[in-house]
Amino acid sequence: MVATIRLSVPGMLRYRAIAVRAVAEAARLVSGSTVRDPKNPTLDPLSHDVRHPFDTAVVSAFMEIFNNVAIHAYQRKGGGEIEIEITPSKDAIVIEVRDDGRPFDIDDVAPLATELDEESLPEGGMGIHIAKTMLDEMTYEPGPPNLWRLYKRLPVTQVAVGRS
Amino acid sequence: MAAPFDVQHATDETRLTIRGSLDINSAPALAEEIDKIVATKPAKVTVDLGSLDLIDSSGVAALVKLYKGVRGGGGAITIAGARDQPLAIFKLLRMDKVFNL
Repeated sequence: MVATIRLSVPGMLRYRAIAVRAVAEAARLVSGSTVRDPKNPTLDPLSHDVRHPFDTAVVSAFMEIFNNVAIHAYQRKGGGEIEIEITPSKDAIVIEVRDDGRPFDIDDVAPLATELDEESLPEGGMGIHIAKTMLDEMTYEPGPPNLWRLYKRLPVTQVAVGRS
Repeated sequence: MAAPFDVQHATDETRLTIRGSLDINSAPALAEEIDKIVATKPAKVTVDLGSLDLIDSSGVAALVKLYKGVRGGGGAITIAGARDQPLAIFKLLRMDKVFNL
């Protein structure tokens, strides 16, 4: 069964954790990952949720896109919503993120240095690179509304595990 | 919410322990602490990431700032204990080699 989860949050960093939590739980529906140590819960259950490589990839990418929308589209001032549509299926997840803020110039993102050493360690501009690399596919269409589409497949060897 | 980090100053070492999530919401407070640490020109800094669960690019930027700041002041820095999602991020950015993780 493919069902879509819809969440709308104000376009501010204050609401980031709510959105990240929803995405992490949806990723777990696909990966089938469980809490590693249920006898020792910490104050933040999310800390247990993001261990599986699939969940790691999905959550890492989503966090960067949420940051990008709140900072660049809404300029840290809010003033609009971030509409999130999550569609987990048997072996993949699709996350669509829409906003009505300023369009982002994705072509303006510089690639990371090919040879990384102490000198070239970046102090910024890593977010889009992280999101893109963690996912199987990521597209951006300037709006309004601006639309980020994130796609991650569960590796074939893990589909059976995810269903057990 | 408790601060996601604490700093211990010993005579021969400054130890920074970061917990939970180091992200765009928690990194600014850490950045202030990092400025303070770097200003003391410490000879040796150890960053313990064993209790760090999640990191985003803002968190990575804060750690890079610390790394460069300490090295620039002639000090040595060790970043230890990264696991799970934070380790995956450092590997993706190929910082695991620079940081010796």
